Amino acid sequence: MKKHSFIILMLAGILSATSCQSGDWDVPEGLATQPPYGNNTLVAGKTATIAQLQSQYASTISSSSYKKIEDDLWLRCVVTGNDLGGNIYKQITVQDETGGIIIGINGSDQGALMPVGQRLLVSLKDLYIGGYGEQAQIGGRYNGGIGRMELTEWQKHVRLIMDGTKEAEDFGSMKVDTVDFDATKSMAEQSGKVVRLKGVTISGTGTQTIAPDDGSVSPIGGCINRTISGGNAGNKCLLRTSTYADFHGLPLPSGAVDFYGVATWYRGDWQILVRTESDLTWVK
Amino acid sequence: MNHRMKMKHLLLVLTLAAAPLSYAQTIETAAADSLSNSEQELQDDGSFTFTESQLGENDDITTDVIQINSNNNVYLSQIGWTWSGIWFKYRALDNAYNDIYMNGVQVNNPENGRFSYSTIGGMNDATRNKDDVGVFEGNNYSFSALGGSSNYNLRASQMAAGHKVTLSGANRNYTLRGIYTYGSGLSKDGWAFFGTVGYRWANMQTAAIKGTFYNSFSYFMAVQKVFNEKHSLNIATWGNPTERATAGASTDEANWLAGSNLYNPYWGYQGGKKRASRVVNNFEPSVLATWDFNIREDMKLTTSAFFKMAKYKTTKLNYNGTNPHPDYWKRFPSYNYNVWGNEDDKNYDYDAFWASYDNWQDERYRQIDFDQLYFANTQLNKIGADAIYWIEARHNDHMMTNLASTYDWDIKKGLKWSVGIQLLSNRGSHYKTMEDLMGAENFHNTNTYLVGDYRQTSTDAMYDVNHGYQKIIEGDRFGYDYDLWNQDVRLWTNLTLDRGILHSFVAGRIGGRRMWREGFMRNGLFPDNSYGKSGKAHFLDGGMKVGGVVNLGKGHAISFGAGYEQKAPGAAVAFMCPEMNNDFVQKLGNEEVASTELGYALNNKWFRLNLTGYYYYMHGGNEWHPFFNDDATSFTYNSLSGTEKMYYGVELGLRVRLTSSLDLLALGTYSEAKYTDNTEVTWMSSTTRDKLIEDICYNKGMRISGTPLAAASLGLNYRIKRWYLGLTGNYYNRIYLSYSPNLRYASNMRNADKELPGGGFAVDEQAMGNGGFMLDASIGRQFYVAHHPLSVNLQLCNLTNRRNITTGGYEQSRSNYSVNESDKNGTKTPRTYNFTKNPKKFYTQGFNFMLNINYKF
Repeated sequence: MKKHSFIILMLAGILSATSCQSGDWDVPEGLATQPPYGNNTLVAGKTATIAQLQSQYASTISSSSYKKIEDDLWLRCVVTGNDLGGNIYKQITVQDETGGIIIGINGSDQGALMPVGQRLLVSLKDLYIGGYGEQAQIGGRYNGGIGRMELTEWQKHVRLIMDGTKEAEDFGSMKVDTVDFDATKSMAEQSGKVVRLKGVTISGTGTQTIAPDDGSVSPIGGCINRTISGGNAGNKCLLRTSTYADFHGLPLPSGAVDFYGVATWYRGDWQILVRTESDLTWVK
Repeated sequence: MNHRMKMKHLLLVLTLAAAPLSYAQTIETAAADSLSNSEQELQDDGSFTFTESQLGENDDITTDVIQINSNNNVYLSQIGWTWSGIWFKYRALDNAYNDIYMNGVQVNNPENGRFSYSTIGGMNDATRNKDDVGVFEGNNYSFSALGGSSNYNLRASQMAAGHKVTLSGANRNYTLRGIYTYGSGLSKDGWAFFGTVGYRWANMQTAAIKGTFYNSFSYFMAVQKVFNEKHSLNIATWGNPTERATAGASTDEANWLAGSNLYNPYWGYQGGKKRASRVVNNFEPSVLATWDFNIREDMKLTTSAFFKMAKYKTTKLNYNGTNPHPDYWKRFPSYNYNVWGNEDDKNYDYDAFWASYDNWQDERYRQIDFDQLYFANTQLNKIGADAIYWIEARHNDHMMTNLASTYDWDIKKGLKWSVGIQLLSNRGSHYKTMEDLMGAENFHNTNTYLVGDYRQTSTDAMYDVNHGYQKIIEGDRFGYDYDLWNQDVRLWTNLTLDRGILHSFVAGRIGGRRMWREGFMRNGLFPDNSYGKSGKAHFLDGGMKVGGVVNLGKGHAISFGAGYEQKAPGAAVAFMCPEMNNDFVQKLGNEEVASTELGYALNNKWFRLNLTGYYYYMHGGNEWHPFFNDDATSFTYNSLSGTEKMYYGVELGLRVRLTSSLDLLALGTYSEAKYTDNTEVTWMSSTTRDKLIEDICYNKGMRISGTPLAAASLGLNYRIKRWYLGLTGNYYNRIYLSYSPNLRYASNMRNADKELPGGGFAVDEQAMGNGGFMLDASIGRQFYVAHHPLSVNLQLCNLTNRRNITTGGYEQSRSNYSVNESDKNGTKTPRTYNFTKNPKKFYTQGFNFMLNINYKF
């Protein structure tokens, strides 16, 4: 009898031990409406469009200096580029109906938190705006110029507008078109926007990949510049790609191709930043 | 008394004095018996619970210590208990040098040579009967191992009869423990039954280290039938399904920022609840059948068959992006500003330094932010991208089948012979499964480290070409999936001889091992040598040892021993990159071990003294390490071959009976355990098909880590009227942290500009931990309740609350510079963060206690 009781006790123990403490963890509630990122208490005030910002701070940007934004201005924008493809580093590119601009954030994997298409409400007061190589950028101060703001600072200033919420309703739709690249446009008119290169040729030395990391080409700031010519490229257009980009090892196309990228400006040159492999429409 | 009678009497005394030095289990001296029941129970119960938290239960560092014991040696009998709080390793030896037997069958996992004591945790009443021997003690079950051997006697008839209930409370890795034990004793019709069940528990609110929990049920059951005087059969089965969260080592900077030396980066908040990211699930149900055949009075045959089906998995938060763990080096203040005063540093960012410091003041920052990780995955669902964060489970299962037979023959008085055979087959199954996709809808079985050089969907980047661009859901295997097989045949023999004042033994063993790998995924980088079986490697090993005791009379004795053996490698070090392909390491061979020991013992009514010196020389060993190598900008697999090490030191154990109720106990050791020559290393990157790279690891002088190489204790034990009181002061020093091999590769040191003008290198000193003093006390009392004994024991450890003594840790393998791989010249950029000055460490817990109540009825 004692033996039987003991065996029953043992089996009961085995069964009870299967109820684990690590548990099944469901997706936390409220992620879709109250994201655990950014500042969910922000309420929009006076809107400044990207074009207005570029205009208001034009001299600061063109002189590659910076200024603190003192006015209580709010930016309503959509994310158009991020670090998800490993090419854009600690920056996101955003657009509204009037233009595009770069936001520098000292944080990694921001593309997973703010994928392309994510609507943002940004409180600009106390952030910095300036020019890096004459390219307009919102961020923080770094070494006497405009750089990235700390991630914690960014999270105080941004609210992610989530679909289906009252904020999304208030925000409204924001249609951001992809435009054909136009080499004749000014930095303010075109930079920060997603553009389409049409009928262009990409060329460069060394290993014939987009951004060789085998030492056959010396990188500049960790990136390889390839010349884009023909088509709508104009004569001052470069394909700039990090050797860490997920698509850096793809072969350069042999003929004329179309592709997409974010147009950025650096001291008189257009530099096209491809976001992910899907921008390279010739890659099947 | 005539001369002949005097001689006879003397011989008898000498024989009795010598015997304990060779037969640990059978004869104990009067001094050894001075342990009171209460003290013995305290040690039996306490030492196990004390150490089982450390034995094989930490994933980041080798903490597997040896539970050495010997009733013949004060030092050996006490260190396991007294120094368990510091993870003391006997002679600085890895647990693989400690052989564990159960009813004569060896149960170490041949893959790595280790026995995990945690697998018998919570069944203390079943594992109390064991025969422990030191390296130079003859015995009847083994060729004793370098770190000693133990043979657990798991026969039901040998267990204590009656009921026993144990209740315990502690502020350690578990909070509560309950054990019920019942033994029938041997009945008249030859049956014996024994069983014990136990439960150990702590949740996230009660566990001593934040973010951990403990949930373990244990059972042991044995039935024995004694058929007649000649035959008996015993069947035992046991297991302890355990689920527990583990803690990680941290840098001093992290501990300082978190305000605790027990800072644990492996947990965080999810939906406001604490969640552990590293959870171990372990269940190793075992069955042991033993046939005892007493051929005749002086001849015995013991045959045991052992089977174990072990399931072990440990979870880990993984990522395809930047490391989300809160102790990732880029999240520290010192990543932004060189607090070590490098004036050449041009990269400092003082604002970021303070921003990081401020962040660390918030617990949500210094722990894992699960909510945000889930959010990122759900955001990625919107664009159809793969998960960026997930929790994976790494499985190390094994199925072991062993058969052992031992023949004992008392040839004549003073001459005994034992011989045995051990057959073993072990399959180790290693694979990853998707434990939790953390809200993500997509994940593919792709080597994301290759994406860039290859397209995500390319064959080269697939972990398993046979399944193509395979979508993974929770529960699926991914990444790697392979078995490692070890099969052993071993013969051993042991002859003991008592003649005059000499008690001696000679032992030998010879064995064969074969091993192979079988892959179940066709890795895209190695499609031709990753799927299916590898070739088979064969090894022949063996050894001899002799030892003895010379009794000098009046309780004085000299002991000695010397041995030489070759030890075949286990499969754990035999493959170059087992996660990816079938290739054996290139220079795989037996480790040669020469060992010697000389001791002096004094044993009389008042004193029990052991003073021992030992020297071990090991040559030709293999090690295998996977780690990220900055200089290769890749995760790498590294095989060190032909290691040369020396272990030597002195040990002192002294028990003095000051009065009939007061003992003084002194223990001490000063030892050295180090590599005595540099080692050849072969390594390969995990992201290329490149050939193997050969290098030299300048590890000469590196010490064995994770144990004090110097330790001393002084204690008083007082027993009176069923009371037991103990007070022990312990001092530990010379604690080294695990050195990082790749920081000492010749090529990497050239990169680090450590080459000396006259040749050679300025090799980094090995990182050390802090030693210190700890004070422990224990108090016990035995009562009688309803005519049955009730024991109450309270163990108080680290009374002075020393929290800065290091119990282990490791150097980080990252470099203080980054290498630009795309630059022809391999230019190096100094890092602001200094990895060399930031080893990761474990510290002592501070004051802790355990209350233990036993009731036998």
